[in-house]
Amino acid sequence: MKVDAQLLEHLMEPKNYGRLESAQLHGIGKNPQNGEKVVVHIEVGEDEDQPYVKDIAFQAVGCSTTVVAGSMLTEEARDLNFNGVKNLVAATMDLLGKLPPEDAACSEMVALALLAAVDTYEKQQEDPQHPILTYNVSQSCTPKEEIQNEEEK
Amino acid sequence: MKTVMIKTHEVWLETLMAGCMSQTSNKQVLFDFADILFRHFTWLEYELIELGESYTYDRDPVPIKVTRLRELLHDIINRLNEIDLQLLSSPDKELDSRIAGDIRYMREVLLHMDDEVITAFDMKRECPKIKLSQEARDALTLFLFEESYKEYELIMIYNYLRAHSNDAYLNRIFQILIEESLFHFKRFGDMMAKMGILAVPRVVMPELYQIDDVTEFLTKGIDEELAAKEECVKLAEAVAKDSPELSKFFDFINNQENYHIVLMTKALEHLKKENNG
Repeated sequence: MKVDAQLLEHLMEPKNYGRLESAQLHGIGKNPQNGEKVVVHIEVGEDEDQPYVKDIAFQAVGCSTTVVAGSMLTEEARDLNFNGVKNLVAATMDLLGKLPPEDAACSEMVALALLAAVDTYEKQQEDPQHPILTYNVSQSCTPKEEIQNEEEK
Repeated sequence: MKTVMIKTHEVWLETLMAGCMSQTSNKQVLFDFADILFRHFTWLEYELIELGESYTYDRDPVPIKVTRLRELLHDIINRLNEIDLQLLSSPDKELDSRIAGDIRYMREVLLHMDDEVITAFDMKRECPKIKLSQEARDALTLFLFEESYKEYELIMIYNYLRAHSNDAYLNRIFQILIEESLFHFKRFGDMMAKMGILAVPRVVMPELYQIDDVTEFLTKGIDEELAAKEECVKLAEAVAKDSPELSKFFDFINNQENYHIVLMTKALEHLKKENNG
């Protein structure tokens, strides 16, 4: 991975990392292959009946790439209404094919945690007791050459 | 007591980071003080366990970005003053006076410590006297962020396991592993400071150290150590042609991982014996 100034800033000072006491909404993205996960916490605001991301934070059990992806995506999600968040998730998912597998799995995990939070909100509108949703990644975290080596064995 | 433990955790990290930043004889003093503060942290933790209070290793972010060491030293002194005041409410007066005595001395030394210009955040990513290719520089950067967090995470995990175990054999192993990780954490932090990319590791999530199944944790941990060895080998190879010195350093770290694996395997065998016996 190439390290530029922007990436370095996210590595040195990840944005929005940690708990969020004011959060009413949470979502989880998981990689069942290696046990890594991302939890997104959202404080919901109401603007002309449209819920939006008033404040946001995330926590990760994962690698630095996951933290960088969490830092970037949560920054982009801030202030978006929930339709905007869904569009952001869709745009991120479209980009995954262009990334190396290990980076794609990390970004997907963060995007899915965001989506899980928004979907949890919708479910909880019908049933306030609905549990926090968890979505599993579809991408493999293993670099292509390692998968190839395994297959050759 | 819980607040005092959290504040001590934060000032331990801040002092350790100050040690990484320093390029003078202040460095060793700051590292020694960081070790003392880490011990305070563990004593306070034992106190909480004795009192039956639940706790986590959650803490606030620790800002360390300064251009002069003096700024950070002032902040450390302020934090020590705050801890000193909060200790007054501690039920264990002996512990209170032990920590307060250390704080008094450290505060005095920090107050008169020589100032330094800090370059640990200039993001230049240059190693003194070593010319690295762009590829090697990027690989080293990513390795340092990944592994400095990993070492911090391991310190927290083994510390929590040690605090909650009465098994002397296991605790001896956990203690060695904590010391090894502290050493790696300082060396990686040193290197990050020299490259201008020093950062405090993120907070470790409780589920990582509040472990129900230590056997499973150790089994997975051995696999992770093997993976870490591979990363060291890759990095040693990536920097070998630019810097034999750096390459040797990563070979040395790689060899240390062998010892960790031996210790973890011994802990695993011991646990299995205890569980079967």
